Amino acid sequence: MKEAALSLLLATAAFAQPRIVELPGKSPLVTIRLVFTTGAAEDPANKPGLAHLTGALLGGGGTKDFTYKQILDAMYPMATAVEVYSDKEMTTFVGETHVDNLDKFYGLLRDMMLHPGWRADDFARLRDDSVNALRVGLRGNNDEELGKEALYNAIYSGHPYGHENLGTVAALGGMTIADLQGFYKQHYTQANLIVGLAGGYPAGFAARVRGDFAALPAGTPDRVDFPPPAVITHNQVTLIQKDTRSVAWSLGFPIDVKRGDPDFPALLVMQSWLGQHRSDCELFHRMREVRGLNYGDYAYIEYFPRGMFRFEPEPNLARHQQIFQIWIRPVEVPTAAFSLRVALFELDKMVKNGIPQAEFERTRSFLTKFVNVLMKTKSDELGYAIDSAYYGIPNYNEYVKASLAKLTLADVNAAIKKHLRADNVRIVGVAKDTGKLVAELTGDAPTPIAYNSPKPQEVMDEDKIVAGWPLHLRPEDVKVVPVASVFEN
Amino acid sequence: MLLTLAAGLPLPGAGKIFPYPYVQQDLPNGLRLITIPTDYPNIVSLYIVVGTASRNEVEPGKSGFAHLFEHLMFRGTPEFPPERYDAVLKNAGAASNAFTSDDYTAYHATFSKEDLPQILSLEADRFQHLAYDEAAFRTETLAVLGEYNKNSANPASRLRETVRATAFRTHSYRHTTMGFLADIQAMPGEYAYSRQFFDRYYRPEYTTIIVAGDVDPQRVRTLIDERWSTWKHGAYTAQIPAEPAQNAPRTAHVDWPSPTLPWVAVAYRGPAWSDDTEETVALDAVSRLAFGENSPLYQKLVIAEQKVDVLRAGPPEHLDPELFDIVARVKNPADLGAVEAQIVATAQQFAAAPIDEKKLQDLKEHLRYDFALQLDSSESIAHTLAAYVALRHTPESVNRYYDMYARLSTEDIRQAARKYLVESGRTVVTLTGSAK
Repeated sequence: MKEAALSLLLATAAFAQPRIVELPGKSPLVTIRLVFTTGAAEDPANKPGLAHLTGALLGGGGTKDFTYKQILDAMYPMATAVEVYSDKEMTTFVGETHVDNLDKFYGLLRDMMLHPGWRADDFARLRDDSVNALRVGLRGNNDEELGKEALYNAIYSGHPYGHENLGTVAALGGMTIADLQGFYKQHYTQANLIVGLAGGYPAGFAARVRGDFAALPAGTPDRVDFPPPAVITHNQVTLIQKDTRSVAWSLGFPIDVKRGDPDFPALLVMQSWLGQHRSDCELFHRMREVRGLNYGDYAYIEYFPRGMFRFEPEPNLARHQQIFQIWIRPVEVPTAAFSLRVALFELDKMVKNGIPQAEFERTRSFLTKFVNVLMKTKSDELGYAIDSAYYGIPNYNEYVKASLAKLTLADVNAAIKKHLRADNVRIVGVAKDTGKLVAELTGDAPTPIAYNSPKPQEVMDEDKIVAGWPLHLRPEDVKVVPVASVFEN
Repeated sequence: MLLTLAAGLPLPGAGKIFPYPYVQQDLPNGLRLITIPTDYPNIVSLYIVVGTASRNEVEPGKSGFAHLFEHLMFRGTPEFPPERYDAVLKNAGAASNAFTSDDYTAYHATFSKEDLPQILSLEADRFQHLAYDEAAFRTETLAVLGEYNKNSANPASRLRETVRATAFRTHSYRHTTMGFLADIQAMPGEYAYSRQFFDRYYRPEYTTIIVAGDVDPQRVRTLIDERWSTWKHGAYTAQIPAEPAQNAPRTAHVDWPSPTLPWVAVAYRGPAWSDDTEETVALDAVSRLAFGENSPLYQKLVIAEQKVDVLRAGPPEHLDPELFDIVARVKNPADLGAVEAQIVATAQQFAAAPIDEKKLQDLKEHLRYDFALQLDSSESIAHTLAAYVALRHTPESVNRYYDMYARLSTEDIRQAARKYLVESGRTVVTLTGSAK
């Protein structure tokens, strides 16, 4: 029933703005997701961070009638809040309330979106938050997230995706409330809005929301036909130099496959087998369980921020261009070069040999059921439904199950050969002693590992190959940057 | 009530904050089973709560072992070596993991309901027959070191370690769940101790199984009887040393080797968690009303003056007496002292005079909705209960806790603040970064 209702609602979307995705139910909890299909890809070249800060101010500032303190006070007895996050193509506002409080909560949320207060004190506070998130949150506190973000920025250099969503410290310093108002006026339109509603909201509520948000300008949808990112012609390494205990690696390259594309289900199986977080993926097994190199090693084909704190990406981070990435959690300094080589060796092995038949069957079975777990809350299910509307595919659960049922091992291995490779890779490391690391990566000498326990002969034999795994790095392919310069300009 | 429990009949759900009827049963070997049929279809969430954690690490040099064990439990058994164990979970599409706190270790999995029998078999097997050799043990200790490394880039981790090590001198809360770095680095040589740890604590009398979701309690009980009744009761009780009273304020400072925003932590020695006195809920109320997002101090420091970008407080919620702590991240190092003074002054105000009754009523309303909003999936229901089960072995503790909150008065809050938020029980730790 639900599937049919959802398709029907999406089918009508072309005729009415804003689009509304509904998952009505009996729960006393109501989730509202307002997804504006705009984001950092629309930042003007000289104002990186504008889309993010605009979203932050709408979701974390006052309205025309109420200060932010008054909003917090009003939401407090209801135990509600507005969560906001943004990416290249989407800016998302999420709130959940008990149905008892729906009118009051919705009224506040609506006014935050439609009648923002644009107050100088809110702006100053949230701009500080952005600067601190860059300098302290990313640069200071979280080496693996720093590496992952720097990898994306390197791969998309010169591209609309090619800057941190938060912006740069310099650009944030020059930003004004007028800049935010200009962005709001241009991009917060009906054409860019997908409203999601889930739970036990009353009849007529969706129509009321649509009527209210018709106050936004009609607008035209933001572009999604971005130019392709630059082709990578050599392995290239960026080492971010900082005082830290260990070495975090991220590596990857663009893939021309997104959700809804013919090869997406095949690469989803590949991702799950090679690197899905905590599902005993191949990288995790070979690097952590067999060799004890670190806490975990993963691979993804869709953007996955905040992975330090989550097992799956949030919904509503949809992108029309994605990369394949491997994420190696911090390793001890003596095994840093070896760890990078293991990851490339495993990637190479998969590209050459594909996935074994039994592993394909098992992974497909896993994903077919795991998709239920992905949607364990109504808010998650609603988020996925909105993404499906954006990508123009059936609801995600049905999409995955139906496409996996048709998939063969040959499809998966062909997609791996077509889209993946173990050379011409962008690599980012976060490390203290970058001089030693550069020598290890660019020199001819192998970088072997010493274990604290006996290993099977098969591992010892493989290690000999890994230790000398060629990286083909010319001096100009390795760049060292001090951490203090990252995200500054 | 006890008769109802023993008979395994559903407890009434009406009128209590926890809205789901549940069945609580004890097996003859001491294992407790709690089953909660929810109204979320198709999915089952399994939480296995073991009453051992860093609190039990009383021997010098052995900190971090409970957490290491959380890792070792994935190292397989003769019947299900790791590859086979993972294959079963994978076929079930299960999201599975584990975590360790100061007081308990929880193993959890969420999956489709038809896989419950197989997953209960798998878990029963590893809890009774875990087998790993020394080589696997030594390798796994490195993954724990990797976890320490992952967290070590964040100064908040070091701040937490230093607060614990300064405020406690005897009790095992002196170290964090991860353990002291030196102990983690020495773990590879402790294979024999690890076997002893398993033998002591991975026993039915330390364990509660929570099954929440699209399930029939009778069917679950049958499955548990078939698989878990052979597990043998143990004989070990840890002697946790009591922390002597603190008689004077303590301070410590951390010099962080790279640039970061400065932090201040103010921690007061508090009571053990309780659902039968007002003290626990009273201190919870102080943490929210004095330092939460809507508190005057937060509004002043974070929203109006914008001198602080993080301010949060946590009441003591442990089996043994622990800390009421407040942490703030300060934007300008020059403000560090003034922020500390305002935190201390706010605590003193709560001890000096009762708060406005309306604020307490708003808080009570907030908590009722907050609790309802938490229960948005079978997994979150099981997860929420796990914390209470670790403290009092029964979901009824949730109802008792919120009943206590409903009765809480502004005078109760003042009394708790006056008893615990005192100078002699205070520890202040500051952390500052390097200039470049």
